[in-house]
Formats: sequence, structure tokens, C-alpha cells
Amino acid sequence: MLRFEKRENVSLKLKILVPIISVLAGLIIGAIAILFAKINPLIAYKSIIIGAFGSKYTFTETLVFATPLILLSVGLILAFKMNFWNIGAYGQFIIGAIFSSYFALFGPPNLPRFLMLTIMALAGLAGGAIWALIPAVLKAYWAVNEVISTLLLNYVALNILKYFMYGPWRDPIGHGFPLSKTFALNAQLPKIIPNSRTNLGLVFGIIAAFIVLFIIKKTKFGYRISVIGGNPNAARYAGINVARNIIIAMLISGALAGLAGMVQISGVIHLLQIDINPYYGYTAIIVAWLSYLNPVVAIFVSILFGALTAGGFQIQMTMQVPFGIISVIESAILFVLIGSGILMHYRISFVKRRA
Amino acid sequence: MENNALKAENITKYFPGVLANDHINFDLYKGEIHTLLGENGAGKTTLINIFDGIYYPDEGNIFIEGRHVNVRSPFDAMKLGIGMIHQHFMLVDILTVLENVILGLQSQGFLVNKAVVARKIKEISEKYNFNISPNSKIWQLTVGEQQRVEIVKMLFRGAKILILDEPTAVLTPQEAEVFFDILKQLKSGGKSIIFISHKLEEVMKISDRITVLRKGKVVGTVDKGNVTQRDLATMMIGREVLFNLGKKPLKMGKEVISIEHLEGYNDRGIKTLQGVEFTVHSGEIFGIAGVVGNGQEELAEIITGLRKASKGKIYVENQEITNSPPYNILKKGVSYIPSDRLKVGLVPNLSSIENSILKCYNEEPISHGPIMNYSGAKAYTGALIEEYNVMVPRINAPVKLLSGGNMQKLLLAREMLEKPILLIAVHPTRGLDIGATEFVREKLLEARDGGAAVLLISEDLDELLMIADRIGIIYEGKIVGIVKPEEVDINEIGLMMGGSHLANSMRH
Repeated sequence: MLRFEKRENVSLKLKILVPIISVLAGLIIGAIAILFAKINPLIAYKSIIIGAFGSKYTFTETLVFATPLILLSVGLILAFKMNFWNIGAYGQFIIGAIFSSYFALFGPPNLPRFLMLTIMALAGLAGGAIWALIPAVLKAYWAVNEVISTLLLNYVALNILKYFMYGPWRDPIGHGFPLSKTFALNAQLPKIIPNSRTNLGLVFGIIAAFIVLFIIKKTKFGYRISVIGGNPNAARYAGINVARNIIIAMLISGALAGLAGMVQISGVIHLLQIDINPYYGYTAIIVAWLSYLNPVVAIFVSILFGALTAGGFQIQMTMQVPFGIISVIESAILFVLIGSGILMHYRISFVKRRA
Repeated sequence: MENNALKAENITKYFPGVLANDHINFDLYKGEIHTLLGENGAGKTTLINIFDGIYYPDEGNIFIEGRHVNVRSPFDAMKLGIGMIHQHFMLVDILTVLENVILGLQSQGFLVNKAVVARKIKEISEKYNFNISPNSKIWQLTVGEQQRVEIVKMLFRGAKILILDEPTAVLTPQEAEVFFDILKQLKSGGKSIIFISHKLEEVMKISDRITVLRKGKVVGTVDKGNVTQRDLATMMIGREVLFNLGKKPLKMGKEVISIEHLEGYNDRGIKTLQGVEFTVHSGEIFGIAGVVGNGQEELAEIITGLRKASKGKIYVENQEITNSPPYNILKKGVSYIPSDRLKVGLVPNLSSIENSILKCYNEEPISHGPIMNYSGAKAYTGALIEEYNVMVPRINAPVKLLSGGNMQKLLLAREMLEKPILLIAVHPTRGLDIGATEFVREKLLEARDGGAAVLLISEDLDELLMIADRIGIIYEGKIVGIVKPEEVDINEIGLMMGGSHLANSMRH
């Protein structure tokens, strides 16, 4: 028989062990799914590792997939610190991409590259921020549940993107596919590793992580956020303007998601299309929690998840394993992580029933 | 053996870093009231939770009527005839007494024969004079009646041993009297009762035997007839207790706060303040006595700006502060010790440092421009902790790991450090052990002697009589009387708390 007893304190060992166990459990559950495809999971996992870290090129691909995850998860961390459950990074990412595409597609064609990219980056930040502002204001002034508002706005964002892609922004010579025309070179983020797709966005992500770390650890704003997240009543008593700080934090969180959208289209795809965002916005939620809301740890966790994605594309191509397996693994990791909250806060022991 | 309803041998229970119960021996005779007495953290709650199957002991044995048993869950405990009545009732407000009794009953089949259950509830109620009707809704009952419903629930399930965790904490003195009569009837009906309390007076009144715990160990088990209150207090805290705090004579100064015809609503939209009026002067402690839920907490929240007043005016040093933002009021020198430390006062997941600087994080040297100075904050907190003797595991540890007494000390330190002109304390000693209670009361007196106006809202009449200079009695959102402790008898206050004074004066 199992017994649960509350733990007084959570040890560092456990804090490290739990995410590792979660990832392993995710892999085991993924292995079961792979077995259904009649493929040896060990071979599949080996291919994922080779696909992610096997060569210099594959590693640069891992970084390509990690880049948007870093920006997204770092933004989410700020919101989560405040106990604001931003599920809307997916939508904020899309709106950021749309905003910056506007300038890439319709801006002056011979604008210097630096200027064009700056404008696009600002547009991406603004787009994500505006999309995050809606649930922030609803929460701050009317206590609307942010889980629902941010989640539903994801669908709205996706449909706005579809409107542009099937409508006004469709490339007239694109054979009817829902794609924009390809961006000119001045609207493409420069590569930071030659002969790869790894671009300047990675640097943005790392800088953003350190800035957010600084905000959390060193600024008054960061202090206010953790007080609001920990106890809004105490925050009000101390004269902290809860509504204003929710809005500021969400503007930053959304802006980083929007920048991730800009980086994705400007740095990787070089055009706007419907599936610019293979659920990065949701994967980033897992990354944020696995990192214990530490933005610098999130860089490394993002690389791990980037590897999973890069490797996933690899096994899809070489072994005909559907990419959906990767989503199964990611979801299983989150599932186990949430479940292991019990492990963190309770001591579990087996006891024998005496007669 | 036959004479023991329950016997516990060598009960030992470890929690990480704490030995909560250290080889405890305890026996409960059939048909006795046996009190467990001890400060908070002495191990009373752990021990009764072991009896009720919530915890399982690391060592030791429990015998029920001489038979060795394993209690692994409250359900097991119930089957063995042990019924626990928690301080916070486990009742569903919108359901009837009958429905609450049925709830969680595992022996019941898919269909419930309500008539049979109702008849049995009536039988129990008549046998012990509970005066409970099976069809009343819980929310319509008084606190005392709800407590009786809890007892009915346990008796219905066949409890022979009743464990009552600080049952009188929620009652007026008169309700407590009724409750003691019920205990006596239960006892003469053959029930065995474990009673938990730290109010020495009632312990002496109701117990047959008393077991005193201190730091997880049994100090001794005594017959009531052989001890005095003073003996018990000494056993409980291991030294002589100061029953007299050496209150200095009153030096009343100018009026600090004046409240005129204040009205306000609670969270459920019920008007809980219906025209409160009083003033507090510098150098005095103005106590407010009342049964919980008569508007006290709303009153404190409205004064501090955390809740809106719907009518009336509040002046602090002749300036109106009604419905000002909390921060503006706090900056006027109003400090607040809320009743629920973890809900309003502290941020449980943050450290002592982050909690200590809550009111001054915006100022030098704790911050400079937009940047926090955490090393400055750490030094500030270190000094605070030392002056108020707060025991923390680490200065960076979340405050939720502190004991109740230490949380309260930290809060007091934060609120009193800046020499407030008005200190509002709501149930400041609730749930604290004797040592911490003494400390808090001394600090309140210190604030008074230093010239602060102190508004003390408390449910503990002894506390008010001990340290307040004047006591206002609140009933249904009105101050129904203001008395001086040295001129009043506790029963008179008790009657006013129950509204009878008001009823009489209206009748005349």
C-alpha cells in the first residue's frame, strides 16, 4: 500500500532528478508509440541523436529549432513568474510574424538591410505585444481567466494568418499555394554559421534570456512580479499596482514571442506561410517549466527540445516514422513533469499491511 | 486493559528535521475526558492525526479496547470507532444536516433510505440534547450548532472515541458553556473524549485527566484534582509564565483615528458593517471583541484601504483617508497585522528578505532607481530578524517554512519597525504558542507605550482584558458597547458578543 506524506522542503537533488525522470519517461512512452509503427525504438532514438548532434550540420539544425523556443520560453517565464498562465505564445508568435512580414513584403525594396531588419524586429515585438495586451487588460481590469483568453486568441491569430495567406498576401505566381512571395535579401536575418540555417535570432534569444534573468533577479519590476505572483493581496497592500504590472509583464512576454515569429520567417523560412509555427508556442511552455523558470537554464532546455525536433524530422525522412511521435514524446514529458509535482511535495513510501 | 478505550505506546513520528512525537505514551479511559495540552509545535496535532490515520507512526503501537490495531486512514479510524472533529468543519454549507451526515458514508448502498437516517439523527440529537433538525441547511445554523452536526456525524458512524481539536476556539463564552454541557452528556453516555486546547481555564473546567506535551515528549499525565492552572502552564512551557505583563499606566494622547458611521460589505455582498463609530487615541490599545464574522475583518480591511467603505468616514490625524489606496494609508504611518498571515501579510513562496522589504522596497537603500539592492535588503532583514528574534532556517528560505510564531514575529518586525502612529492588529496571537503570544502582546504594549494608537481586534477575551485600555464589542456590524476592562465582568462582554445586550436595550 502506498502512503503519501507532505515534504517540508524540496532538495536540490530532487529538483534535478525530476526533470530528468520526466524526459526519460517521455522517451519511454514515445518508444511505445514507435513500436506501433513496427520500428525498433532504440534504432529510432539513435537516429534522433544522430539527426540532432551527429554532424556539425545537424547540430546547426538543432540550433535552428532551438532559437524560437528560447525566445518564446524566456518570454513565458516572465509571465509564469507572475502566475499569469500565458498559453498564447503560439498566437503572439503568429501576429509578430505577420507584422514583420508586412514590412518585408511591402516595405521599400532597397532599404538597407540593417534598417529593414530593425524595422521588422520592432514590428515583430509590437505585434506579439499587442496580441498579449488583450488578455492582459482583460485579466488586469476584469479578472478574465487568462488561460481561456490566451488559448482562444491562438485560434483567432491562426485564422488571421490564413486570411492573409489565402487572400491579399498570397504570392500571385505561387501556383495557388498559401504562401507569400519570398523575402528579398534585405529582409533576411544574416547567418551566424556559414552553410547552415543558424541565424542571428539565436543571439537575440541568448541576449533576451540574460535580460530577463536580470529583470527577475535585479530589478524592482522583477521583485514586484514575484510578489504579485506569490500573493496579489500582499502586493496591493504594499502599494504595487497589480494591473499595471500584469500589463507590462505581458507586453514583454508577448513581444518576445512576436520576435520569435519574426526570427522564424526572416531567419529560416524567408516567407510567410500557414505552418510557420509547428507548435513552438506550446513546446515553449514545457521548456519554461522544465527550466524551473530560469531563463538561462531555458537556453539549454530549448537546445534539448530543438534536438528532439531536428531528430524528429530526421527519422521522419529516413525511417518513415511520423513526426507526430515527437509531439507524443513532448506531451508525455509535460505530463510526467506535472504528475511529479506529487513526488516533489510528498514523500511516498510503501508499507505492508499488517494482519 | 479492558478499562482503556485507547492506548498508545511509544508513538514516534519523524518529519524531515523534526521529531514531532518522541516515544509518546497515552491512554484514554472509557468514559473520560482526557485533555491534550501543549504549545503549538508540541506534537498534539501530529499525535491525534496518527490516531485518526492521517499519519502513520514510524514506531509504536496503538490499542483500541486492548486490541492491537493499525490505523491507516481516517476511514480505518472510523471503522475502529474513532471520530475526529476538526477545528475547521468539514461540512457542505448548502446541504442539509441529513445530507452532510450521509456524505462520505461508505456503508450506504446506491440508494439511501433518508427516513431511516433522519430518524437516527433525531434519536442522537434527542439523546444528547443537541437540538438539531435533520432538514436544516448548514448555512442557517450557528457555529455552535454546526459543531454539533459534526458530532452527530461522528456518532452516526458509530464513534465511541471522539477527538476534538480546539473546539472552543470558534465559540463565544456562552456557546462554550453549552458545548461543555454536551461534552459531559457524551461522557455520561459512555463516550471517551480526547480534548485539545491551550486555554487553561477551560481545561481545568472540563477535563478528568490532562496529558501535557512539550517538544514532542510527554511531560506528564495528571489528574485534574492534583494541579493548578499555574502548574499546567509551567509544565507546558517549561518555565514560569508571566500572567501579568506589567502593563504601564495609560498615558492617553491625542486622537489618532476617528471612524464615523462606517458601512461596508463582505465578499459575499452582505452588509457586514452597519454604522461603526469609535476613536482611538495615541498611547492606548482599543480592543474590539466579537464573535468571528461580525464585521471585524472587514473593518480592518476598510481602514487599511484593502476594501471599500460604502458609507461613512475615516480620519487619521484629522485627515480623511476613506477609500484611499492602501499605499497612501500605509505611508501615513498605519501598520497592519492581518488575521491571515499567509493570505494578506506575507508571500509564502518568497524568502524572509523579500517579505521583510515589502513596504520599503521602493526606497533607498533597498533599491536605487529601478534596481534592487539585495545585499542591502539582506543586511536590513538580518537586523530585523535579530531584533525580533525570528528563527529562520536560512534567511533565503521561503517563509512558508517558518513556524506560525516566527511568521508572526517577522510580520510584527516589518510592521513595527517604522514606528507606526496607528497599528491595526487582527487576531495577532491566533494559533501561536504561549511564548510567541507573550512576545506579541509585549510588542503591542511597547507600541502603545511608545505613543502609537493600537487597534486590537481579537477573539480572545482574556487577551483583550489583559492588554486593552478600552474594549468595543462588535455585534452584527455595530459597536454595541464600549467598556473598560477593569470595570467589566467577562460575562457581560460575552452577552454583548452574543447580541443579547442589544436585544435587551432595544426591548427597553
